[in-house]
Amino acid sequence: MFDYFREYFDFKGLFVCLALVAMGLVSIYSATYDAGAGAIFEKQTVWVIAGVVAMLVAAFFPFKLLQRLAVPIYALTLGALFSVLMIGARISGSKSWFGVGDFGIQPSEFAKVATVLALAAFLSKTTISISNTKHLLGTMLIVVLPMMFILAQPDLGTAIIFFAMVVPVLYWAGASNFVLAAIFAPVIVAAGALFGTTIFLISIVIAGLIIFFAHENRFAAGAVFGLTLAVGLSVQTVYDNLPSYQQKRIATFLNPESDPLGAGYNVIQSKVAIGSGGLTGKGYLQGTQTQLNFIPEQWTDFIYCVPGEEFGFIGGSVVLIAFAVLLFHGIKIASISNNKFGSVGAIGVIGVFAAHIFVNIGMSLGLLPVIGIPLPFLSYGGSALIANMAMVGLLMNFYANRKEH
Amino acid sequence: MFDSPTFGSLTRATILRSVLGLLFLLLLGRLYQLQMLYHTELGKKSEENSVRAVIQEPIRGYMYDRYGTLVVDVGPSYTVTVTPAAFDAANLEKLAALLQMDKKEIADKITKGRAYSRFSPTRIKRDVDFKTLSALEEILYSLPGVDYQVESKRTYTTSMQATHLLGYVKEITDAQLSRSAEVYRPGDVVGSSGLESSYETRLRGEKGFEFFSVNAQGQFLGSYDGGNSNIRSKEGYDLLLHLDASVQTLAESLMANTRGALVALDPNNGGIIAMVSKPDFDPSVFSGVTPLQLWQQLNSDTTKPLFNRATMTRYPPGSTFKMVIAAAALQDGIIDEHYRITCTGAFRFGDRVFKDLHVHGSTNVVESILRSCNVFYYQLVLKIGLERFAKYSRMFGFGSPTGVDISEETAGLIPDTEHYDRVYGKGKWTQGYLVSLGIGQGEIGVSPLQMASYAAALANGGTLYKPHAVAAIRNKRTKAVEELGHPLKTTGVEPAVMDVLREGMRRVVQEPGGSGGLARIYGIQSAGKTGTAENPHGDDHAWYVGFAPFENPSIAVAVMIENAGFGGSKAAPIAGAVIRTYLRNTKQLPERIAKPAARDTVKQVTQVTEH
Repeated sequence: MFDYFREYFDFKGLFVCLALVAMGLVSIYSATYDAGAGAIFEKQTVWVIAGVVAMLVAAFFPFKLLQRLAVPIYALTLGALFSVLMIGARISGSKSWFGVGDFGIQPSEFAKVATVLALAAFLSKTTISISNTKHLLGTMLIVVLPMMFILAQPDLGTAIIFFAMVVPVLYWAGASNFVLAAIFAPVIVAAGALFGTTIFLISIVIAGLIIFFAHENRFAAGAVFGLTLAVGLSVQTVYDNLPSYQQKRIATFLNPESDPLGAGYNVIQSKVAIGSGGLTGKGYLQGTQTQLNFIPEQWTDFIYCVPGEEFGFIGGSVVLIAFAVLLFHGIKIASISNNKFGSVGAIGVIGVFAAHIFVNIGMSLGLLPVIGIPLPFLSYGGSALIANMAMVGLLMNFYANRKEH
Repeated sequence: MFDSPTFGSLTRATILRSVLGLLFLLLLGRLYQLQMLYHTELGKKSEENSVRAVIQEPIRGYMYDRYGTLVVDVGPSYTVTVTPAAFDAANLEKLAALLQMDKKEIADKITKGRAYSRFSPTRIKRDVDFKTLSALEEILYSLPGVDYQVESKRTYTTSMQATHLLGYVKEITDAQLSRSAEVYRPGDVVGSSGLESSYETRLRGEKGFEFFSVNAQGQFLGSYDGGNSNIRSKEGYDLLLHLDASVQTLAESLMANTRGALVALDPNNGGIIAMVSKPDFDPSVFSGVTPLQLWQQLNSDTTKPLFNRATMTRYPPGSTFKMVIAAAALQDGIIDEHYRITCTGAFRFGDRVFKDLHVHGSTNVVESILRSCNVFYYQLVLKIGLERFAKYSRMFGFGSPTGVDISEETAGLIPDTEHYDRVYGKGKWTQGYLVSLGIGQGEIGVSPLQMASYAAALANGGTLYKPHAVAAIRNKRTKAVEELGHPLKTTGVEPAVMDVLREGMRRVVQEPGGSGGLARIYGIQSAGKTGTAENPHGDDHAWYVGFAPFENPSIAVAVMIENAGFGGSKAAPIAGAVIRTYLRNTKQLPERIAKPAARDTVKQVTQVTEH
């Protein structure tokens, strides 16, 4: 009986997910304990229940139907993203919410699930080949469409997630090294353009080398290199023509320490919170940084400080290890899946998770600029939690149906 | 499995795993770096972040006189403060108008305070009056970061001033602050002269700290750690003085409208019974805010009220110095007590004639003191020579600081061969320079304090105690008393010699016709010596040194009044009144005689000083 269950039910994914959700509740309770935001914890527990439901629905959703519904769901999501721009509530400067009574819904969170499903459905079609340039562009379009809507909100962080998620998907689906080079080269040069002439030139050389070593034919390589240069130069021109206060804003974005009371404040406080935790932490509800609200709305994007400060290196490592187990488990599901839908889907899911995890924790640890994206399962937020748990549900579904063709 | 050879290949799975693994290792490494390697630094930052220390000012030590009368107290004072982090610069104008201060002055103080701590209140105006305080109270809600605190300020409970002895406290200067930044913060008051300065480390106590938890907005969330980490402020120690407040008060009133100094010592231990320097000022003007104008006025006053004449002036002692010459001659066997000269009213040395006031005729050493015969000493100083003169002067404590426990004092000047060689050149000065030294004139400088110490040594038979104001230091809380001891050294003058000098001094006061007759006290034997020091800048300085009771002295006094004329008429009566009051206070005068006599003499003294 149990063996039968283990064959078709992904206990590992479920337990790791629930463990992370539990850590999230524990952290949110602490972060809101004395911040006058007690309702946050209560709301999150409601979201967890909704998340478990979403996870189970996704896990047991009929596999074929899921494949068939992938595109309609995707279309529905695009519609939602469009209408949120029209009628959405503006919260913290971004139009990304539908207000429903006391609760808000963030369509961009669900767009991640829909896009993963759409990518999986598109790439698993037998007629589609990633080495076909048209099909490749089609794949990119699936990602770029929701990205455009989300950038318009504007929500740079979530848009970056879409970009980061598509790279492993393309790679997994068999895209050639040249395709990856063509995606990475402009990004490297565009980023390099923000750091002054020397770095810009170095980034051009690196991009050139990547393109050179991955190239299939000279014409394509030249075109990609030309495009890369154009992107880099236009980024630099735009940057140079920005008013100085906007340049300063970008500079602080790249180097938070330069503005310790403004943009850099959260990062510095976050590093202090985590660093002061030491090996074993200050004890639950004893983290002074957390309890004294040094980081505004810590329960959202800076939730990782709570285990870091209150449970120390041990707590911080446990969270990292749990995430690592989840991601490696996802790759395993992708590897053992006999069908492309589940395989690509699994990689899409862990691509979304990995992007969130590395950007969010990297930001909390002061390795990356402050990009406002939540930490899966731990950060407060209903839409994200439900979407993320639904994605774990998808992993469980792909696991259960790995032998389908 | 799939049509594309690379789709989901083992290699690609491995590479994906490797990339993810590397990224996780990167995060783990960074976590290790922050939490294990940077833990100390970041932990400290975090503590500073969340815990605010509020300084608890200690109560400054009190001062009591020898009878236990409280003479220096502390009282409440209201200080307006600003917490830099919470203050809105837009309110600067409002605050400036309310406190009647310059906007820039307030802004400067906030900037200075910010450098120490953004979250601790920094003092803006001290000793704010009730009217301003109640006006502030009404609009405090609209001035975030502005508050007031109750502090202590010096109050003086008796009618004496004792300015130069007690000293005063004053807001710390930038220079003082930079020297001891670990103890003081801007706006602290610090002992700036007198005992307030020299006993600063004992008087000030130790600051306490009350710890509060605060959030990032700087709001206080309550006591940190249940108050268990608080450090209580430690009160300053009380000073128990040798001072007799009523003697001091009397001495100040007798010296009113003069420029001069009076020092009264206990010859049995060197304790300072009174110390007056005139002109002086009310030390309480410094206890709250020191008005800049007043400070400048005190500084530029030509009579130098800030200057402690008792320890800092360096005047020739005149005839009061004669006992030093006599001691040198007697002890070194140059003369004996039967040795006589005939005073003709003048002494010729080379082509110069040194005058005397009277023709004294045949005079021995005791009579030379009694009548203050100059000719006797013109001759005597030539007999003893410059080196012996310098040696005996130093034996009585002249030419070097006494080591008194209040801040500044002069060493004075006792010339010797080396000094004259340096000033005039070798061989370019003659023994003629020595003659005036015989009567305490010329290139010789002594302070009233040194003179009082000299009088005390003559009183007690030859012991030089280090003069000191503080007898003991008392812990306010435990009442434990730490006696300060009385460092002493002997003058090295033999008792037999002392007896001769003392007998001369006794007769100065007690014998009809003695120059110190106005210092006489009915019912008790007293001794002394007057001096009238010539002065190139104006009238003579009046001197008197004396002690009483003769047989068992308990007080020694030196009085110096600038440009007042004769020591016998100007200085002696003041010394007499001071001695008598002290003896009466210490019950050394027969009660029946003391009272009427006291009244008579005070009247007499008042008349003298009113001339």
